[in-house]
Amino acid sequence: MAQEPTSSEQICGAAAWIIREGMKITAHSALCVFKRQPRGENEWFMNRPVSKTHGAAAWIIVELYNGQMQEHHLLQMLSGIIQWINPPDAVSTAIECGKSESEMLDGCRALLSIATITTPMMFDKLLKSLSPFGTLSLLSTLTCEVVKARVANTTEEETWSYVARDILLDTWTALLVPTVSGRNDALPPEGIHAAAIVFNMIVECELKAASASVFDDEDNSDYQASISAMDQRLSSYALIARAAIDVTVPLLTRLFSERLALLHQGRGTTNPTGTLEELYSLLLITGHVLADEGEGETPLIPEALQAHFVDIVEAEKHPVVVLSCSIIRFAEQSIDPEMRASIFSPRLMEAVIWFLARWSNTYLMPFESRRGNNCISGPDHESQHRSQLSRKALIGFCGEHNQGKLVLDIIVRISMTTLISYPGEKDLQALTCYQLLTVLVRRRNLCVHLVTLDSWRNLANAFANERSLFSLTAPHQRSLAETLARSAIGMGNTEAANQHVRDLVGHMTAYLVDISSKDDLTTVAQQPDAILSVSCLLERLRGAARASQPRTWKAIYEMGFSVMNPLLTLLEIYKHESAVVYLILKFVVNWVDGQISFLEAKDTAVVVNFCMRLLQLYSSHNIGKISLSLSSRLLNEAKTEKYKDLRALLQLLTNLCSKDLVDFSSDSCEAENTDIAQVIYLGLHIVMPLISVDLLKYPKLRHDYFALLSHMFEVYPEKVAQLNAEAFAHLLGTLDYGIHHQASWQVASKDMLHAAKIADTEVVNMCLRALNALASYHYKERGAGKEGLGSHAAGLKDLNGNLQEGVLSRFLKSLLQLLLFEDYSTELVSSAADALLPLILCEQGLYQAIFLNYCSELDKLI
Amino acid sequence: MSDEEHHFESKADAGASKTFPQQAGTIRKNGYLVIKGRPCKVVEVSTSKTGKHGHAKCHFVAIDIFNGKKLEDIVPSSHNCDVPHVNRTDYQLIDISEDGFVSLLTENGSTKDDLRLPTDDNLLSQIKDGFAEGKDLVVSVMSAMGEEQINALKDIGPK
Repeated sequence: MAQEPTSSEQICGAAAWIIREGMKITAHSALCVFKRQPRGENEWFMNRPVSKTHGAAAWIIVELYNGQMQEHHLLQMLSGIIQWINPPDAVSTAIECGKSESEMLDGCRALLSIATITTPMMFDKLLKSLSPFGTLSLLSTLTCEVVKARVANTTEEETWSYVARDILLDTWTALLVPTVSGRNDALPPEGIHAAAIVFNMIVECELKAASASVFDDEDNSDYQASISAMDQRLSSYALIARAAIDVTVPLLTRLFSERLALLHQGRGTTNPTGTLEELYSLLLITGHVLADEGEGETPLIPEALQAHFVDIVEAEKHPVVVLSCSIIRFAEQSIDPEMRASIFSPRLMEAVIWFLARWSNTYLMPFESRRGNNCISGPDHESQHRSQLSRKALIGFCGEHNQGKLVLDIIVRISMTTLISYPGEKDLQALTCYQLLTVLVRRRNLCVHLVTLDSWRNLANAFANERSLFSLTAPHQRSLAETLARSAIGMGNTEAANQHVRDLVGHMTAYLVDISSKDDLTTVAQQPDAILSVSCLLERLRGAARASQPRTWKAIYEMGFSVMNPLLTLLEIYKHESAVVYLILKFVVNWVDGQISFLEAKDTAVVVNFCMRLLQLYSSHNIGKISLSLSSRLLNEAKTEKYKDLRALLQLLTNLCSKDLVDFSSDSCEAENTDIAQVIYLGLHIVMPLISVDLLKYPKLRHDYFALLSHMFEVYPEKVAQLNAEAFAHLLGTLDYGIHHQASWQVASKDMLHAAKIADTEVVNMCLRALNALASYHYKERGAGKEGLGSHAAGLKDLNGNLQEGVLSRFLKSLLQLLLFEDYSTELVSSAADALLPLILCEQGLYQAIFLNYCSELDKLI
Repeated sequence: MSDEEHHFESKADAGASKTFPQQAGTIRKNGYLVIKGRPCKVVEVSTSKTGKHGHAKCHFVAIDIFNGKKLEDIVPSSHNCDVPHVNRTDYQLIDISEDGFVSLLTENGSTKDDLRLPTDDNLLSQIKDGFAEGKDLVVSVMSAMGEEQINALKDIGPK
């Protein structure tokens, strides 16, 4: 540099040094900009994580500068990279002709890093110092070029246009994502126009890609993966669309109706596949534009959609309403068999159902909210008023008092169609059961209307009394049962709600009671059709059990009660049919989980007694059982089945535990109450022999087992003392195992190994806490002059007259062995210390002896 | 297609039906399926479509329950497959003969002597060793489509 550096240049230089020490990419760019040097090696940058690094570097810049200097610096950056991305069409052509894309990509990354720290206004203003148009216009033109190039690329590889598109979409997202208040998110008018142009091009290219993809050979085997993989991209599209909503919503409506017209015209003559795929794309894009995901909460209508179209106060003229209604009317045509056959392919139907699920969660009978009026800041009363009316029209058009019920009915009938008229289409039916129908019963106000609809009653009736829905795969039937049972919250009173559930589950219990009392059960039961029916019904029962709520728990209790004995009979008959056994266990787990808190003492005793019989029966069938097979694969499967069963049994015991923690029953008579702790220990005693050391290597089983054990020791240490010597030895043996043996991990990746080690540490932690609880209990009891762990701690003579050492001294030695000589994570130090203290206090003599021994060993070495 | 073969086969069998038709889409992992005339246990199911806007088909990977071989089949989801009737009966093991047959006690007190021991060394030793030690053993015999085999062993003696 020829001249004396100005102070701002010095500051820039200092900043560049700081950035360089931390994050090399931006530093290199910044240095080049400051020193006006040509770029050197560029390939290096390609593989770096871009936006985080740039964001962090940019943050440092912000901290160092105030506004004007920041703007100056950003302008410098921009002018440094501008020729890499401008003019976009020339740049794109050059790359297609063989020029390296690395400068262009770095230019895009620079735009992204600027976008993360500027408001849209600031961002746009930057380029205006250098050219007649703003940065947003450049971004828009650039994005269009990249998107066009991507569509033109017919190879399978990910080329520069793929990478560039993702960076530029991230840039738009950074600019447009609604931030916390305090920042002005508004776009300048040219920016809105720029967004509209980009969205137009994006949609045009997506449609081109869609119709071209029908000639793809590869099977689109996992729809779930494709919709969720596209999710991030679609969310970016939605933000862009919402920035220019006046233009983009009518655009979508037009494109949609054009494709519909094409379909209708071509029916019977042309192959509709290309148009169907375009419609598939349009539905996904529109679903993202009109509604948000929600993530567990009920999503509101996006603010951008509510705030624009201020002048439109009649619902039927509102562009969002027009678009929504045209899609729903289209979807409704799937109910007609001819239309279904010619237009509604399973894949298109999947998009329809996905859209309806996403859309309904926001627009169908939303809570009539008074909020949303506070953020209007119009200059005069008149426009404020109109804007409020416009919002009301949009929020209310599918409300309970308008078309809501009508639309709800259409959606239910469409759902029914997918379940009955698309045999074997598991993916489609999964969407209907898990995504759409669950949305309809999520809120009470929807359920209130659902239960009055004929279509809903037809569905419930078909489920309860006909065979048609038995051809759904069993897990879908489970979901359907849960949904139908849940809709009972819409009934007027508790009695009606319970009756609704009884009507639903009656057929399930009747069949199971009936089949279990047949004389020729042994022969009948093993026939495949009987196994199928029993499996489906057990899944249905599971679904109903999971829908247990305060209002309907009674009916669900009765349901379980009526099948208790039949289930034990079936467990005996199907002892070799692992799939059925697992379903029985899972049903009981789910049922107990939903019921136990509500049961009165008498019923608790009944349920607990049933669970114990179940455990004993399962144990008698499986203890000492060895599978024999020529196939190692089948042997492995048998082992997995065993492991899953044991997890279910442990879950059952854990669920029973909760009675002592959460009890809604009204009984106050303590004497009648079942001793839950005793039950659990009995249960553990039954289950324990089934859990081999080999099975304890399964991480989830390991975790469940030790979680239950440590909970029991911590909450009911006095019960441990009451166990007989054999049971006690067995339980404590597993505790020792848990502390010392970390599973040998053979896992696929470093990440999994890390996760596995964390899980292991958690298990050891739980064991140490259990040990702490036991030792503390003993110490405190002895301090109060009582027995504590009694003979378990004192040591007793075994059958041969040998003295077995007490459990605490054994664990003291064991724990010291771990702490001094074995490997363990530093996260265990705290709980190990907590466990060590009471052990030392209980066995002071032994502790002293051990350390004197160590010291004398050390002396010998020295 | 495999469908036609199996229908023909099962009609030819006399007595109780050996297979049952069931929609392919309802057959799950750990269920049973007949592939190329063999009774198999399903270890993997995946779905795909015939063309982007076509109908779903199920790809089954299954293991022959008697000889352990791996078999695969692809069936349109709405079509019926044959599910074998797999029977499981428990017998008490009374004796092992020198020519490789077992003598089993049935529920009604008679004996069943026509079942061979498995030829695989590993399986054989598991049965023979237990028996030689004088344990009370119950064997589970699995039968399907005219074949039968011991598939599980249980020691019911006192511990």
